[in-house]
Amino acid sequence: MSERAIVLDNVSVDYPGGRTAVRELSVRLNERRIAVIGSNGSGKSTFARTLNGLVTPSTGTVRVHGLDPTRQAKELRRRVGFVFSNPDTQIIMPTVAEDAAFSLRRRGLSRAEIAARVAAALERVGLSDYADSPAHSLSGGEKQLLALCAVLIGEPGLVVADEPTAYLDGVNSRRIAGFLLDQMPQQLVLVTHDLRLAARCDVAVRFDGGRLVDQGEPGPVIARYERDQDLA
Amino acid sequence: MISLYRPGDSVFHRLPAGPKLLVVMALALAVSLAPAEPWLLAGTAVLVSGGYLLAGLGLAEAGRQLWTLRWLVVVMVVSQVFFLPGRTVAANVVRVVAVILLANLVTLTTRTDDLVDAIERALAPLRHLRVNPGRVALMLSMTITTIPVIAGYAAQIREAQRARGVPVAPLAFVVPLLVMALKHADDLADALTARGVD
Repeated sequence: MSERAIVLDNVSVDYPGGRTAVRELSVRLNERRIAVIGSNGSGKSTFARTLNGLVTPSTGTVRVHGLDPTRQAKELRRRVGFVFSNPDTQIIMPTVAEDAAFSLRRRGLSRAEIAARVAAALERVGLSDYADSPAHSLSGGEKQLLALCAVLIGEPGLVVADEPTAYLDGVNSRRIAGFLLDQMPQQLVLVTHDLRLAARCDVAVRFDGGRLVDQGEPGPVIARYERDQDLA
Repeated sequence: MISLYRPGDSVFHRLPAGPKLLVVMALALAVSLAPAEPWLLAGTAVLVSGGYLLAGLGLAEAGRQLWTLRWLVVVMVVSQVFFLPGRTVAANVVRVVAVILLANLVTLTTRTDDLVDAIERALAPLRHLRVNPGRVALMLSMTITTIPVIAGYAAQIREAQRARGVPVAPLAFVVPLLVMALKHADDLADALTARGVD
């Protein structure tokens, strides 16, 4: 269990201009599916971004699967895949297959190996028919599947998804969520406003005003969150 | 304008990207330098059409490409027709169109990553000048990816302006487009970092 532990010790993140996004956060998580909930600006995205070194803490230490995101950034980014909300900004290469293959560059794999892995990964998310299509001809849901495919092809140990369904309709949200929550063997940190998705996780953490204010079984955590929303 | 790869199995598809680029560059140079003789212009048209047929794309594809170039042709003709003899104008138009169609023939029959690999290899000697060929190649690929995205933003802004009944003002179009493009660049940089490019 300890090899998939996410440990933050007294982490604060200050943004230029003096805004503090996360304050004195200490937490230890090793469940497989971790939901992160909270209102806009509560610090949950910043928390997610510290996990793969996109954001560097101003103070405190982060260990993800034993790695330091700041000092062992390269290794860590192979271990941690990140799915963003906007499907459009995650596509780097012009065609679907090329974009998936992009995640495998500089890993010392042969062209044949890369082609085989790309084909298998596209098959898994159901995008095989679009392998040679321009990536931007895909629909929003398909683009998000491609982004997920590009993350999974690198065989990470942890997938961090920052509101992966925010831009999607109901059908596509369910497709992406089903994949993340049920089909994928990897550990998952799911930042979401969709409380039904949060409820399907093994543990939930709730942020408010840059602090972790609640943590535990998703059901009760979500219930308290909803009650506080009603009071506000 | 950016025509993407069409899968196929023609001689053109199988030709490695490097030699293909060199052949097309040589042809483009020849077309550009050829004298403005009518038979040479006809020969150029035949060469380009032959290329499209050989690649299994058909003349319809060449026609489609030609149609996307219509405004370029109009601009070229209008700007030259009063100052130059008709034959020279025709020769100039045919040259430019032929070179663009040849270049598109390469992109239509070559996977972008093969093309980018070939460019990366060609740039390798520049390493001594501290140019990183890998980065140049990545930048090229990302440019190709980003053009349709920015075009999409432009369409969104036009729609938003139309929806509010704002008359089309250049500044009110350029500023939001620039903002959206910069935001996109930021997000793309995060995506690159997340996928292990530093």
